Amino acid sequence: MGTLVDARNIRGVYYTGAKDVVAVDDVSIRVEEGEVLGLAGESGSGKTTLGSIISLIARPPLHVEQGTLEIDGKVQELGGDARIPRTWRGSVVSMLPQGAMNSISPTKRVRHLVWDVMRSHDRRISKEVALDRARERITALGLPVRVLDAYPHQLSGGMKQRVVTIISTLLNPRLLVADEPTSALDVSSQKILIEMLLEMLDQKFMSGVIFVTHDLPVLRTVATKIAVMYQGRVVESGPTQLMVDRPQHPYTKALMSSVLTPEPKYSKIRIEGMSGFDRTSFDAPAVIHS
Amino acid sequence: MALAKYLGRKLAWTIVVFFVALILNFLLPRLIPGNPVDAIVGQIAAGGGAGGEQLQKIHEHYMQEFGLDKPLWEQFLIYVGHVLRGNFGTSFGSYPASVNHLVGQALPWTIAIQLPAIIVGWVIGNVLGALAAFKGGWLDRGAFVGSLFFSSVPPFAFAIILLFVVAVKAGVLPVGGAYSFGLSPELSLTFFGDAITYFWLPFWSLVLVFIGGQAVGMRSMAVYELGTDYVNYNRGLGVRDGITVRYIFRNAMLPQFTGLGLAIAGLITGGLITELVFSYPGLGTLLFNAIGQNDYPVIQAITLLITVAVLLANFTVDVLTGFIDPRIRAAQSGER
Repeated sequence: MGTLVDARNIRGVYYTGAKDVVAVDDVSIRVEEGEVLGLAGESGSGKTTLGSIISLIARPPLHVEQGTLEIDGKVQELGGDARIPRTWRGSVVSMLPQGAMNSISPTKRVRHLVWDVMRSHDRRISKEVALDRARERITALGLPVRVLDAYPHQLSGGMKQRVVTIISTLLNPRLLVADEPTSALDVSSQKILIEMLLEMLDQKFMSGVIFVTHDLPVLRTVATKIAVMYQGRVVESGPTQLMVDRPQHPYTKALMSSVLTPEPKYSKIRIEGMSGFDRTSFDAPAVIHS
Repeated sequence: MALAKYLGRKLAWTIVVFFVALILNFLLPRLIPGNPVDAIVGQIAAGGGAGGEQLQKIHEHYMQEFGLDKPLWEQFLIYVGHVLRGNFGTSFGSYPASVNHLVGQALPWTIAIQLPAIIVGWVIGNVLGALAAFKGGWLDRGAFVGSLFFSSVPPFAFAIILLFVVAVKAGVLPVGGAYSFGLSPELSLTFFGDAITYFWLPFWSLVLVFIGGQAVGMRSMAVYELGTDYVNYNRGLGVRDGITVRYIFRNAMLPQFTGLGLAIAGLITGGLITELVFSYPGLGTLLFNAIGQNDYPVIQAITLLITVAVLLANFTVDVLTGFIDPRIRAAQSGER
C-alpha cells in the first residue's frame, strides 16, 4: 500500500480585518491507500479549516498562504493565487459536509443534484447513464432507490446524511474529507453511517478518508490513524490503538482522558477534564509516530 | 389528489374572504360622515332658483333614486343582487353616468401605466439585485446605495421632483393629463404619439421606485443564499458555477415572486398618488374624487375591484409558489 495523499506545510489564515487568525499553522499530514485518518481536536483547533483546505473549498475570509497537496504523484499548489482546477473537486478530492441537513437545495430533488454533479464533470454523459450510476450505488449500499425522487425535506436526518455520502463519492474520488458527518445523528444512525463509509472504502468507491471530528469514541471505531490538532498544529499522530492506549503528548493525554466510557470505575473516580491540566504543557514539541 | 385538495382549500378560503370583503366594501364608505344627497342638494341650493319646498322634493327624489331611504340591510341585498349581475349602479357624483362606464374609462389608463412599470421594474430590479450580490465590489455598492435611495424616497415626493425638474423647469415633457387637449382616445398613431409623451413621467416615477425595492430585496436574498450549505457543497463537488447560480436564483426568487403578485394586485392603489400628481385619468384619480363626493357606488366598485385583484393575485401566487417550492406544497396539502 502506497501513500495516497501527502499534504505538506499547509498554512491557513483568516483575514478578519482587525487581526489575522492563524487557524492552520504549517501542518503536514499523510493518508495511506485504504486508510481512514481521524483528525481530532477541540473546537477552534483548526481541524475543520484544515479539512476545507484539503477538500479545496477554502474561500475568503480563509486564505491559504502556503501548502501543497500531492495525490497519486500529481502535485497541486494550494497557497496564494494558485488556480485549482474545478474538476479536482468531487472527482479527486470530495467533501462530506458538516451540515448535511441543508446540503441539498430545498427546491431540488436528489436526482437533480446527482445529474448536475455528474454533468459538471462529464459534459457528454447522458441523464440516464448518470442516474443509473446513482441507482446502482444506492442499491449496493442497501438504500431504497426512491430516495432519488425525494426532496431533501422528505428524508430523515440519517437518511439525508447517507444520501449525501453517496453523492459525495459518486465520482470515485481518491480522497473523501468527511467533516463531522456523524455529529448531528443519533447513535444508531451514526453506526449505520460509519458502517456504510467503511463498506464504501472496502469497495474502493474512494481510496482514503480524512475523518474530522471531536467525537473520540467514534474515531476509535472508524480511524486507522489519528492526528490530534491543538491551536492550529498537529501535536501528535499515530496508529489509533497507540494513540488511545499510550498517548505521549500532554495535550493528547488530556484529550483522551476526557472521554467518558460507561464503565463501573467512572462512578467512583473524579473526572478532571481539561481544567485539571496545565495548558502551558500543551506547547510541548509534536510527537509523530510512524 | 394532494394537489386537488390543496387547490380546493385555497379556493374555499378565497371565496370566504371575498364575501367578508364584500360586506366591508359596502359598510365602510357609509361610515364616512355626511350624506351624498345633502352635498348634491347643497350645490343646487347654492346655485339659487329653488325654494325650500322644492329642495325638499329634490332631496326626497334623490334619496329614492339612489335607494338611500331603504334600511341598510335592504340596500345591501339590492347591492349584492346588482353586483352579481355585473351592474355597479349609478354614480352619485357624476349623475347620471353609470359606474361601469366611469370605471371602464379609467381602468385602461391605470393598467397602461402600472402593468409595464411593474413588469419592467420587477425584471430589472431582480437582475440588478442578483448581479450586485454575485459580482460584489463597486457594482454592488453602487447598485445597493442607488436602490436603497429610490426605494426609500416616498413615491409622491419623487413624482413631484420629477414633475418639477423635467416638466416645469426643463419643459421637455407635458406637465399633466394623459393626452393633449382637443384629442380624444382612439387607436391611431397620432394619438399614441401624443399620449406617450404624457406617459413617460408617471411611468418612470413608478419604475424607479419599484426597481429600487426589488433590487434591495433580491440582493439580500441572493447574498443569503450564497452563504448556504448547499452552495458550499455544490462547490465542493465541483458543480459548475452556472448550475449553482440557477439553484441560488430559484431559491432567492420565491419571496420576489410573491412580491410581483402583490404588486400587480396593488396596481390600483399603488399608483394612486402618482396619478394624482400627474392628473392622470386613471382609477386612482377616480377613487380620490369619489371619496371626496361620498360617491358610494363608485367607491364600492373600485374597492371591490381592488379586493378581487388582491384575492386573485394571492390565489395565483399561492398556487405557483406551491409548484416552485415543494416544502410549501407539502405543508399546505398535509403531505409529508
